Amino acid sequence: MRVLVVEDEKKTASFVRKALQAEGFAVDVCHNGDDAMAAARATPFDGIILDIMLPGRDGLSVLRQLRERKNTTPVLLLSARGEVNERVEGLNAGADDYLPKPFELVELVARVRALTRRGGETKSTVLRVADLMLDTLTRQAQRGETKIELTVREYRLLEFLMRSAGRLCGRMMILEKVWDYGFDPGTNLVDVYIRRLREKIDAEFEPKLLHTVRGAGYVLKETP
Amino acid sequence: MTIRTRLTLWYAGILILSLVIIGIGTYQEIDEQMRHDHRREPTERAIGETSEMVFQVGLPAVLLGLLGGWWLTRRALGPVKKLTDAATKIHERNLREPLPRTRNGDELDQLTKVFNDTLARLDDSFKRIHEFTLHASHELKTPLTILCGEIETTLRDESLPPAERERLLSQLDEVRRLSKIVDGLTLLAKADAGQVAMQFENVRLDELVRDNFADAQILAEPQFIKVELQKCDEISVRGDRHRLRQLLLNLADNAVKYNQPQGSVMMNLRRDGDFAELTISNTGAGIPAEVVPRVFDRFFRGDPAHSQTVDGCGLGLSIAQWIVSAHNGTITIESATTKPTIVTVRLPLEAPAGKKS
Repeated sequence: MRVLVVEDEKKTASFVRKALQAEGFAVDVCHNGDDAMAAARATPFDGIILDIMLPGRDGLSVLRQLRERKNTTPVLLLSARGEVNERVEGLNAGADDYLPKPFELVELVARVRALTRRGGETKSTVLRVADLMLDTLTRQAQRGETKIELTVREYRLLEFLMRSAGRLCGRMMILEKVWDYGFDPGTNLVDVYIRRLREKIDAEFEPKLLHTVRGAGYVLKETP
Repeated sequence: MTIRTRLTLWYAGILILSLVIIGIGTYQEIDEQMRHDHRREPTERAIGETSEMVFQVGLPAVLLGLLGGWWLTRRALGPVKKLTDAATKIHERNLREPLPRTRNGDELDQLTKVFNDTLARLDDSFKRIHEFTLHASHELKTPLTILCGEIETTLRDESLPPAERERLLSQLDEVRRLSKIVDGLTLLAKADAGQVAMQFENVRLDELVRDNFADAQILAEPQFIKVELQKCDEISVRGDRHRLRQLLLNLADNAVKYNQPQGSVMMNLRRDGDFAELTISNTGAGIPAEVVPRVFDRFFRGDPAHSQTVDGCGLGLSIAQWIVSAHNGTITIESATTKPTIVTVRLPLEAPAGKKS
């Protein structure tokens, strides 16, 4: 997997590159919009991380031009402005995801992974992690032989975690996908819901599947 | 007493005084004349003739003068009345709309000009403060991103000693808190500058409240707080869905955070005429009456001790107030240290479409 990071702030570009390299990505970096256009035309990337505020030509204009040229590389927008409107504007311009600054590295990595894995997602209607099963048609959850009752929200949370099984999910990402909050509501809603879900799917079972990664988020997987 | 009444009274006094002086003068003149003519009983005749003159000519003249005076003051003070009407409409957001000038160069026109110049200067300084806050928030975000990213990068190192890891995690928590404060400040600064566009649509408020009720129950569970939705009328409002959800979550979160263990939270949504009225009450320690009006102030903490135990950015209620007023609604808090704290939000069923905050 090869990704392009377009970020004018050198330090930010540097730790983003390091984090993505640590996850096994090949990373190219450029610091302005024109270089980004040239790089995107020369190399087929699996994903582009594009800062909106760039010197000279901004990220949105780069994105629009890419899409005009039928370049469908998945794009994750970064922005220090961080507004609901800007997010909508970005997605309308053809972005696949949007992350406001300051972001957490784990969020960024999780999103880039989701981005580059697009299309490769399981089409199956029954999701499985170890002996935990979730039928997305009947909305039935089951651990081993035991049926588990879930509220609508718990179901959506579990479905999201199971679809991203093995991958670290940040709080912002969960809030966005499960609650559709485009902002950080400043509550511990996610943590409380996770605790409840854990009681239902993990408390009386072994092995534990839902793990907390301190300072980062949550991950659903068989081995800790 | 208005200037006009006072001026007219003064005017009346002066006219009457002149009438008296004229009367006395006339009397003395007639009296002199009569003595000169050697007539008999000059005094009575003189009084009679004088009073005849005063009543027949003087009084009507005074009355006419009074009316004229009344009319003149009215004309002279008319622009002041207009100025007052225009000035009462001045607030922070329309400082740029000048007061109407007559441009005839008189004293009142000069006053209006000075006033308009002052307003323009005031507007400039308001703008500068808003811009400063906005730029400051942007400028703060870049170093915060770097700080957060570099701490996280260091944390990825598996060989990090546990004590070091703990210290970095604690630093990361603080950086995140700072980020939240900056986020909140940016939002409010933009709202002040009228730069947050609202996406108005028809929103089923009762559905949002039910959703929020479910979240509130979960938030309250760890502290064994009971949450009840007593009434939830079916109500649609014109509003921004995201912002209304943010408002509801914010209020529910506060009702839980500032509650006591095993306390309760009551939610009610009902229609009241052309308004949707939402009340959320909690059985927390309450807010002393003297600080209630200040709870919407930015970074205001009623109880300094509380800020140690309750996390949050200190901007929640300011943001809530902004969201409500952007919907042309009102938000009030009723609290006493002995009774439940009640937050009431009133939103008009119809808000202007596409309005900027």
